[in-house]
Amino acid sequence: MKKGQKLPHGEKNFSLWLVWAAAMHAMVFLLAVSLQLWDADRHSRPKIVTVTLVSLSGSGEPSREDSGPQGAAAAVVAPSQAVQTPPVSKKSVKEPVPVPVNKQSVKAPVPVPEKASVIPKKISVEPLTPKAIEKKPDINQALLRLKQNVDKKTAQLPPPSTTNLNTALARLQQKVKSEGEGTGTGTGRGQGSSSAERNGGGRGSGGGGTVDSYKSQIVSIIEQNWSFSKQLLKNSYGMKVYVRINILADGTIRQILYDRRAPSEYLNNSVKKALEKSSPLPALPKEEGSRDIWIGFVFTPEGIE
Amino acid sequence: MPDSRLGFFGLLSDTGVVVLMVLSVLLSFSIISWAIIAFKFGYLRKSLRESKVFLDYFFEVCNVDKVFTESENFRYGSLPRVFRSGYIEYRAIADKGDIRQARARIARAVKREVNAENKRLSTLVPFLATVGNTAPFIGLFGTVWGIMNSFHTIGLTQSASLAAVAPGISEALIATAAGLAAAIPAVIAYNSFTQKISVIERDLEEFSPEFVAAFINEP
Repeated sequence: MKKGQKLPHGEKNFSLWLVWAAAMHAMVFLLAVSLQLWDADRHSRPKIVTVTLVSLSGSGEPSREDSGPQGAAAAVVAPSQAVQTPPVSKKSVKEPVPVPVNKQSVKAPVPVPEKASVIPKKISVEPLTPKAIEKKPDINQALLRLKQNVDKKTAQLPPPSTTNLNTALARLQQKVKSEGEGTGTGTGRGQGSSSAERNGGGRGSGGGGTVDSYKSQIVSIIEQNWSFSKQLLKNSYGMKVYVRINILADGTIRQILYDRRAPSEYLNNSVKKALEKSSPLPALPKEEGSRDIWIGFVFTPEGIE
Repeated sequence: MPDSRLGFFGLLSDTGVVVLMVLSVLLSFSIISWAIIAFKFGYLRKSLRESKVFLDYFFEVCNVDKVFTESENFRYGSLPRVFRSGYIEYRAIADKGDIRQARARIARAVKREVNAENKRLSTLVPFLATVGNTAPFIGLFGTVWGIMNSFHTIGLTQSASLAAVAPGISEALIATAAGLAAAIPAVIAYNSFTQKISVIERDLEEFSPEFVAAFINEP
């Protein structure tokens, strides 16, 4: 018996049903597309309005006209410059001008070359306790006074000459050298042979040991609070976070300061969370008195250095 | 196309090759399943309806010749087809005096047609069971593959944020959704068809001896 004779008419036309099913699927897809389009039209988004915050009034910083497109990066670096210039005073350091930082600058932090002798640039200042920005109404007047003082001092000085400059440079170098060897309270590396200690100004030899023990103590605490998985990093090249923390006498971490961020935001955030979690740390040693100290750490995927 | 990347087709455009292959396999499964569902639904419904009408006519009219003539109108019914095969065998027997031999030949012809009808009824139905059983696993395979790729990408971007994790997983889950969309109708249709086929098979087993007896007792 032939197959064509045995099969009923419906079975022979199964291919027609296949075509029908394919057409139905195509129709369902088209319906889904049209529904999506209709839904998109119904919930049309409002136009995005880009607002650029140029400056804040009363911030104490004169606006820079030459900032141009690199204004954000320059503004981020500004606090470190303020630290190095004595006339601008501490207030400009503790109260950095809030600058709008766009996404690009956050995602791609500016890498700082690794040098032991050079203090790396501060990228961002993140205080733990939000401080209200104190507006100074007479900041322009204060600036004017400062300018006047500087003008007076420069007017009193004799005209600069090359010999004067050389002597001034030598004096400055000597001063820097003596200060670098003598103070040593933060790192505890002070040596008794320094000139400043002979003069009675250095405290390095006494305070170094206690600070080191204190540092090792807080390193262990931070390591306990640091939750970080090395497996989540694809490669560990350049994965170092240089961070400094300002510790008050009672052990509270007042400021966390990134000297250098790692390419991975995951590592950066984990460091920040670990430090925030560790606050308050044990109180500072009595040798430090009531003053606050800065302690630096290097976080790597392997641990804290 | 406004906002197309936010919807289902936007997710499809971002999926990998393996997930797209899985989706195409599932799409073909779904098309074939729906074709079988549509074809078998009509076929079984007609068969059940015609068998019922034919049985009524068979018990109403005692003349097998008339019943055979009427059965020509029922092209999809299983019972009319079995009856026709028995009738053809009955008419082919030259020596109708040997009742035992005639009964055996008719019974053999009816049995053969019942078997053929059972096969015809259950044709293509096992494919629905296959789709119902395997489509979720195929979809799951696509999802697992997509999530693997997603985690690999997360490792490359070195970011474990929700914004980095969620889109990849969302894309991967399309495969599971497609697998379920193909499997659920197939399973429902398979159960329904199996029940209908079992009803027809029971009728065939029950009424085949009646047909043989009707031919033998024909005056």
